[in-house]
Amino acid sequence: MTVEMMAVPLQAAETPSPGVLVHPVRLPRSGPADPVHPVTTERLADHVARLGQRPRGGPGLVDVIERAGLTGHGGGHVPTALKWRSALRRVDPLTVVANGAESEPVSAKDATLLRQRPHLVLDGLALASETLGARRAVVWLHADDAGSRRALEAALAERRRARLPGPAIEVVAGPVHYLAGESTAIANALAGGPTLPTSRRPREPDAAPSPRTLVQNVETLARVALIARGFANPQVTLVTVLGPHDRQVLEVPRTARLGDVVAATGGLRAAPPQAVLLGGFGGTWADWAAVADLPLDEAAARGRGLSLGAGVIAPLRQGACGVTEAAAIATYLAGMSAQQCGPCLFGLPALASGLQRLALGRAPRRERRRLDEDLGAVAGRGACHHPDGATRMIASAMTVFARDVEAHAHGRPCAGAGHMVLPVPASARAKMGPVR
Amino acid sequence: MSGGAMSGGAMSPESGPRLRVDPIACAAVGVCVQVAGAVVDLDRWGYPVVPTRALTPGEVEQSDRAVRACPRRALWLER
Repeated sequence: MTVEMMAVPLQAAETPSPGVLVHPVRLPRSGPADPVHPVTTERLADHVARLGQRPRGGPGLVDVIERAGLTGHGGGHVPTALKWRSALRRVDPLTVVANGAESEPVSAKDATLLRQRPHLVLDGLALASETLGARRAVVWLHADDAGSRRALEAALAERRRARLPGPAIEVVAGPVHYLAGESTAIANALAGGPTLPTSRRPREPDAAPSPRTLVQNVETLARVALIARGFANPQVTLVTVLGPHDRQVLEVPRTARLGDVVAATGGLRAAPPQAVLLGGFGGTWADWAAVADLPLDEAAARGRGLSLGAGVIAPLRQGACGVTEAAAIATYLAGMSAQQCGPCLFGLPALASGLQRLALGRAPRRERRRLDEDLGAVAGRGACHHPDGATRMIASAMTVFARDVEAHAHGRPCAGAGHMVLPVPASARAKMGPVR
Repeated sequence: MSGGAMSGGAMSPESGPRLRVDPIACAAVGVCVQVAGAVVDLDRWGYPVVPTRALTPGEVEQSDRAVRACPRRALWLER
């Protein structure tokens, strides 16, 4: 690694900002976010001793958050103050949600945060609720995330015993599904409907108004809890890095380079990877050599046509088959469609089976053309962004693994074909068998 | 939207009414393409593809017919 003389950013005069994790963790490559070495959940007394009591939320906090430049850590990177201001423009009942249902199968940073420091997230939710005058405050989880639920319920019990002032907070579990963390699906579920995404369309004049919901990622709220206490926004972010044998969740400065972060997790001990999937299964493939120097900054990523999403970094080793990986992921995503919108319901399975045949070296030229056409026909045409993520992942795979795609299309699958490397859930792997 | 004028050609206004589809309400009935074939296209599964740019006055007239004809009330004009 080269030592570079970098321009030192202007340091804020405030107290150095603490992070949101107690310490980084190592986890199994797939499954629940329970670390290999268990971490004790921070107790209320330690939380208060470390940071002091939180201030009360109020309209002034929106300006503070705006000045801090806080953007969402759930994947969309929307400025938090923008969402809060638009919520403040209306007066009908509002539900504020701390979204802990991270759906990307590789991602474990939100569940890790909830296990380590539930009080920081609860402080942030209480601050948001007070600032926006919410009627209801909810922490939303996947039903199978027992570890987060245990940590939250113990933390809420501590807060009740200590008679901490603040809004009543509910913990609600949604179904175990990729789309259960989608904000309109959460809003729909909390209003008593099914946990399915809804269309954003003008309301019929005679229809009853549905309750307003503001969904904010748990890491974003943890950062709100720090900013409200007067700490500068430290420009750090949580990431989940997939390694050959484990996953690691760590907090990194946005100036850190992708190559250095992967190296820090031990991911460069062998040969450098050939490519990396950024943002998760609904993310973007990139050639490793082209992005090893990318800082973990969303603006920098977008400048290269990429996004960091919710901070998933999944390197793909040399010798693995990118076409096979993309086919398995596409199959998983097709299975995770809410099946409400035609282009997603029909388009994703068509794309997945086209990629499966390509992975097996059984896709004639016209099939490849159809893949390209279907990518164009599906992108941007769902009520939610699920088909957009899937087409983005597939389109980037076709570019990054172009040479492999060419070989596969000529009936010469690469040596790694059929051997999956990324931990794609088993249900999708099962569907990857030979095409009859 | 910067792509609007490009995709719509010189005649298409930058801002103005747009035809929108609610993809959840849509059930690929296909009446829209019959009454507004110049504005609506179908994908290979029978679901409508509408321009993302602003509509010309002639297109607005056709789109209005599609909005009223859709049995699923899946279309609307955003003005």
